[in-house]
Amino acid sequence: MIGYVPGVSPLHRAHPYTPLATAGALLLAAFAVTTPATIGVIAVLAVALALLGGVLERVARPAFVIAVPTWTLLLVLHALLGPEPFGVLAGLRVSEPGLTRALVLGGRLTAILVAFLTVLAVVSPARLVEAMTARGVSFAWMYLLVSTLTLVPRLRERAARILEAQQCRGLTLGGSPLARVAALGPLVLPLVLGALVEVDEQVLALDARGVTSGQRRTALDPPADHTMERVWRVVLAVAVVGLFAARFAGAGL
Amino acid sequence: MSVVRLAGAGFTYAGAAEPSLRDLTLDVRSGELVALAGPAGAGTTTLLLVAGGYAPRVIAGTLTGERVITARRPAIVFAAPWTQLTGLCQTVRAEVAFGPASHGRPREAVLAATERAMRQAQVDHLGGRDPATLSGGELQRVIVASALALEPDLLVLDDPAAELDPAATDALYTLLREVAAAGAAVFVATPDVERIVKVATRALLLGRGRIVKDGVPAEVLA
Repeated sequence: MIGYVPGVSPLHRAHPYTPLATAGALLLAAFAVTTPATIGVIAVLAVALALLGGVLERVARPAFVIAVPTWTLLLVLHALLGPEPFGVLAGLRVSEPGLTRALVLGGRLTAILVAFLTVLAVVSPARLVEAMTARGVSFAWMYLLVSTLTLVPRLRERAARILEAQQCRGLTLGGSPLARVAALGPLVLPLVLGALVEVDEQVLALDARGVTSGQRRTALDPPADHTMERVWRVVLAVAVVGLFAARFAGAGL
Repeated sequence: MSVVRLAGAGFTYAGAAEPSLRDLTLDVRSGELVALAGPAGAGTTTLLLVAGGYAPRVIAGTLTGERVITARRPAIVFAAPWTQLTGLCQTVRAEVAFGPASHGRPREAVLAATERAMRQAQVDHLGGRDPATLSGGELQRVIVASALALEPDLLVLDDPAAELDPAATDALYTLLREVAAAGAAVFVATPDVERIVKVATRALLLGRGRIVKDGVPAEVLA
């Protein structure tokens, strides 16, 4: 399940910018380092973030579903079909630089995936709106960010409703893979067309609720932003800058 | 005081060959509760959009003739409540407060308007609920509360009772009469003429984008 999971973990209680900044720092760090070992450290930190948020179990499944095919593709492309020199691993002839490349790319993807799935699970869209409102962020930016964070759960919910309706009209979801692919038609078309119609009405509804009034929105219940959290975000920024500086100085991270 | 005045007004949606409204002349004043009725395609929804100032500002199209809207706080309610949720709020209270907060009103004023609107729409007991978990009828009342929280001087509603049971429909129409009596101009498009005729102060019957009848509800909607 991708989306917000209510909870009381330190990440749930933190100011929404803190988990966002932490995930952002992990993303940048994953690009700053270039060896399998250091990428592995970043991936472990991402998993630790999910653990801290108490959402590792919820994050693991979608991460696994996305990461496994990607890892498979990377290993085939780089490790099996990569350049010389070759070595032998588990009885297979493996390109050593290709394997390194696959580990770096796969580790980077996994770290980013876990970090951002964690953010989706621990950051309440409503609290994020309040936090951004309190900072005077424009509604357009706020809506763009929060809509992106809530897109997957909203589409899933709508798809489930459409599937139920289509099943009531006789759509069969089981059967051969070909039949399953054919069943996608009655789902995708209403999903896309319904979303387009809904956008029209929602634009109108949001306009009617004053989002284009030009006034700065009033924050009603802004989340607390403690000094320690602000310090943590500065530390993250400094650490990321330090990592990139070390990389460009040839530190071999 | 005139709130909406149309003189020879017409409206054609972007890409449409024919206008949806033609040659409408109308003057609606504060305190009026105007019932709109007509067969499908008569133009009631379009008239609401034009009268509320949403077309062509938000809904693309061409407006002809003259339109003067003096209302400063218009609000709109559609038949399908789930398309009117902001998608940004996790409680009913936050959803209702969204409008006045967007207008930058002081926090205390927003909270007071929110509580008042929730009481008026009889959704104060749902304040802490996630809007996504409400029934269609509950959600529709939340959307009405969201509109009322704006303290509108012009309220346009398109089949607002579509999701409501008969008792809730009567309560809504009684509320709309009170809103009009407090000084707002209220437009309601509904197929439920039997109920609206009891509360409306004026009725418009539309046909093919034109006003066919305009007058006392009991006569126009008979």
